[in-house]
Amino acid sequence: MAEKFHTDLKILKKDTVAMALHGRAMLRDSVDALIRQDKELAELVVARKDKIHEMEVKLEDQCYHLIALNQPMAKDMRVIACTLKVITASLRIGRYGKVIANIVKEISDKQHIANLMSIPHMADLVIDMVDDAVSAYESDNLHLIDDFSSRDDTIDALRHSIFREGITYMMEDPKNISRCTHYIMVARYLERCADHACKIAENVQYMETGERVEIH
Amino acid sequence: MSENCIISTKNLNLWYHEKHALESVSMRIPKKKVTALIGPSGCGKSTLLRCFNRLNDLIDHVKITGEITLDSEDIQGPGTDVVTLRKKIGMVFQKPNPFPKSIYENVAYGPRVHGVRDKAELDKIVEQSLRHAAIWDEVKERLNDSALGLSGGQQQRLCIARTLAVEPEVILMDEPCSALDPIATAKIENLIERLKEDYTVIIVTHNMQQAARVSDYTGFMYLGKLIECGKTGQIFEHPKEELTENYITGRFG
Repeated sequence: MAEKFHTDLKILKKDTVAMALHGRAMLRDSVDALIRQDKELAELVVARKDKIHEMEVKLEDQCYHLIALNQPMAKDMRVIACTLKVITASLRIGRYGKVIANIVKEISDKQHIANLMSIPHMADLVIDMVDDAVSAYESDNLHLIDDFSSRDDTIDALRHSIFREGITYMMEDPKNISRCTHYIMVARYLERCADHACKIAENVQYMETGERVEIH
Repeated sequence: MSENCIISTKNLNLWYHEKHALESVSMRIPKKKVTALIGPSGCGKSTLLRCFNRLNDLIDHVKITGEITLDSEDIQGPGTDVVTLRKKIGMVFQKPNPFPKSIYENVAYGPRVHGVRDKAELDKIVEQSLRHAAIWDEVKERLNDSALGLSGGQQQRLCIARTLAVEPEVILMDEPCSALDPIATAKIENLIERLKEDYTVIIVTHNMQQAARVSDYTGFMYLGKLIECGKTGQIFEHPKEELTENYITGRFG
C-alpha cells in the first residue's frame, strides 16, 4: 500500500516537472520570439496555453486523489503541498509567456529600441532561476536555491533600470511610447516570473525541511 | 512540553522476564489534553499505558525501575493505594467489556464500590456519566436492559460512562475504536474531543490518522523507546527524527 503510494508520488513529481518545463519553455520561446521579432514562434507559444491548463487540472486532480486515498503525513504531505504550489507557479510562468507572445505580435513591425535594453539579459537570469527552482524540486537539492534572495534583488534592480531607461526613450520621442510601454510591461512580467521561481524555492525548502522561509 | 503536566515518567524501564519492554522512557503528559501514543505492534505503547494505572502489577515477573508520578506523587511506592489510583486513572479497552448487568448497574457499579449508597445520588451520577459519554439519549428509555444488548459502539461509550462515573482525572484508552465501525469510531472521537475539557486523555492507537485527528500531543515509540514526543501538528507535519518520519509515512511498521 505504502509502496504504491510512494510510486504514485514519484510519478506525480515527474509529471509536475514536465509541466514546469512546459511553462518554462513558453516563457523562453516568447522571449526568443520577442528578440527575433518572430510572430510565428509567438503564435506557437500562444497555442500552447490550452495544453498547460490541461496539465494543471490533471495534476491537481492527481494531488487531491492521493490526499483522499492515502492521508499523507510528514514529508509525503509536504511533497504534495509543495507540488500544488509548483503547479500554480508553473501555470503562471507559462501564462506570462503567452502574454509576452501576444506583445510580440503587436510590436514586431518596427525595429526594437536600444536592442530591447536589458530585457534579454534579464530574461536569461529569470529563466535560470526557474530552472534551478524546478531542479531543486526534482532533485531535493537545496543548494540550487541558496542564493535566490540576492538573485531576486538583481531582477528587481533590472526591472527598475528598464523602467527608467524606457521613460528616457519615451521623453526623447513620443513615437517610442507604445514600444517602451510594452518593454516596461515585459520587464514587469519577467520580474513576476522570478517571484514565482522564489515561491517554488520557498516551497521546496518547506518540502525538504518542514521550515517556512520567505525569500524577498 | 511546557504545559502543566499531570503524569510524568523519568527513566522508566520495564522487563517482562528477560524482555526489556520499556527502555528509559521519560515523558510528560499535559493536563486536560489528549496525548496519543503511536508505534508499530510490540513497541511498548500499551505497556507504557498500563504503567500509569499499575495494571502491569497483575502480570508475573514484571520488573519496573524509574519514576512515574501523578500530580508530582510517586505511584510506584508501596504506600500507593492501587484502588484509589485506578479511580483517579480510569481505563477503556480495545474490546468493549461491559459487565453482564443492566446499563444502569454498569455505571452505578463504580460509585457503589466507592461508597455511594443513596439512590437519588446514584441516579444523578448515572445520568451525568451517560450524558458525558454521549449515550444518554440512546439508552435513557431502557436503563434496566442488559448492557450486552447494545451495539459495539454503544457498549464502548457505556464503558467510557462507567469510567467517568468515579470521576477520574485521567482516562487511558487502549485502541478504543479498533473493534468499531467508522460511524461508531467518529462518535468516540467526538467524545474524546469533549472529554478533554474535564479530563486528561491518553490514547494508544495504531491508526495514525486517528492519532492526528484526536490528539494534541503525540509520542512515537519504537522497540520500547520513546523516539519522539511533541505537538501532534509538528509530529505529523515535520517530525524531527528520521525513524518517526519513516514510520508515519508508511516506510516501515
